[in-house]
Amino acid sequence: MKEHLDSCRQAIIDGDAERSEELAKLTLEKGMPVLEVVDNGFVAGIREVGRLWEEGELFLPELVIGADAMKKAMDILRPALEGGKGEQDRLGHVVIGTIEGDIHDIGKTLVATMLAANGFEVTDLGADVPVAKFVETAEEKGADWIAISALLTTTMPGQKKVIEQLEAKSLRGNVRVMVGGAPCSEEWASEIGADGYAGDAVAAVALAKGKAG
Amino acid sequence: MNEFLDALRERVLLFDGGMGSMLIAAGLAEGEVPDEWSIKRPDTIIGIHTKYLETGADVIQTNTFGATSIKLAASCRDGAPDMAALNIKAAEIARQAIDDFIVGGRFLAGDIGPTGEFFPPMGTLSTDAARKAFREQAAALEKGGVDIFLLETMYDIREAVEAIRAVREVSDKPIVCELTMEKKKKGYFTIMGDSPEKAAEILVAEGVAVIGANCSLTSGEMIGLVGEMRSLTDTPLLFQPNAGQPELADGNAIYRQDPGEFADDLMKMVEAGANAVGGCCGTTPDFTRVIRARLDRM
Repeated sequence: MKEHLDSCRQAIIDGDAERSEELAKLTLEKGMPVLEVVDNGFVAGIREVGRLWEEGELFLPELVIGADAMKKAMDILRPALEGGKGEQDRLGHVVIGTIEGDIHDIGKTLVATMLAANGFEVTDLGADVPVAKFVETAEEKGADWIAISALLTTTMPGQKKVIEQLEAKSLRGNVRVMVGGAPCSEEWASEIGADGYAGDAVAAVALAKGKAG
Repeated sequence: MNEFLDALRERVLLFDGGMGSMLIAAGLAEGEVPDEWSIKRPDTIIGIHTKYLETGADVIQTNTFGATSIKLAASCRDGAPDMAALNIKAAEIARQAIDDFIVGGRFLAGDIGPTGEFFPPMGTLSTDAARKAFREQAAALEKGGVDIFLLETMYDIREAVEAIRAVREVSDKPIVCELTMEKKKKGYFTIMGDSPEKAAEILVAEGVAVIGANCSLTSGEMIGLVGEMRSLTDTPLLFQPNAGQPELADGNAIYRQDPGEFADDLMKMVEAGANAVGGCCGTTPDFTRVIRARLDRM
């Protein structure tokens, strides 16, 4: 079993999507405990990728490849987890996008990828997303989090507008808001009444996990 | 011989500073695309170029950082302007600023930024599409009358190579290529993991006249990169750091670094082997003036 967990972990670190799929299938074929394989194998792997990325040992391509391998494995294992949607129900749903007027996609996509790789259900609205679209989608999906990226000083006020619109519609109690992007900070987050600031994809996962449920 | 390359051999050249913050100060609205002001507000752009010339910049950069067809299509929500016409106009008005300026010997750099798209696995950009977009922009800038090409803020060396080869297909003028790097525990890298070693090896092999770095780093953080790159290559080096990290004030990001401190850092870069210096985000003609004075005293 330990060997299998190590193989799963390593496949993610190596960004080997094919191997990750094989190992995920093997997990089901051999009737191994799925939750344990996910937590101590694949998730351990993506955590290590995140750590190595923060350390500057790995870079964007490796992070994306690792997250893709993770996604491939999870697509196979997810149905077997607690009768289907257990893990995602536990972690919650995140609606994410880059605010209107801002077409910076990279950081936001990374955060979305890492959240999905870590088991969150993610609705990625893309870039240049109108304020109302965040609010409507979160309401429709019953989201636990809205994650708003802004890379421009001119678009940052949009993050505040999302929160104001949530308040106006009395939805603020149901959904938490995290903000990110180069000009954002902890101070900005607290100034506009967000629930948190995430400086990168790893921090975003930690933030969402820390406050989920 | 080429006048720009001759000047680079004789003295340290001063490139201009930021364009974006100047445009915001001039009233660029939320969602407006800076590059479009070359057509909408040419007098404002000429005014900014002239301020940089007046404060002592040897080289000014066209307002075309985001003006590849790929980037324009993504950023102009109400329909992109004609890419070629925009780049020609931007080069022509910058040329006009130089021609109208009282002192000669100034150079016009045709500014080319990244497409904003990614090659796989991050994105779906193809090398052919990147090459084509850069070639079209470079051809328009050439037509508009630039002296050199400045490929800047490149975060993927493969995209930088496509841009270099694209320029070469339409012009023999000198190419300057700046990558944008972050300082990690193990050294300086682009977000793709491209190192100074790789930059020196690949970009020099592509035949660029000048290599260097801009944006992402503050002037203090960039000093270490200069010595490192100098130890790797004899090719002339250009560095254009940001004026500190942005801070928030009343919901707006501002750069608080003092021009004097910035200029001091740039002089350390010159001592470490930089052949040309300038500014990126947050720098203004006030910075250029102080750097000019320091350079003249050296």
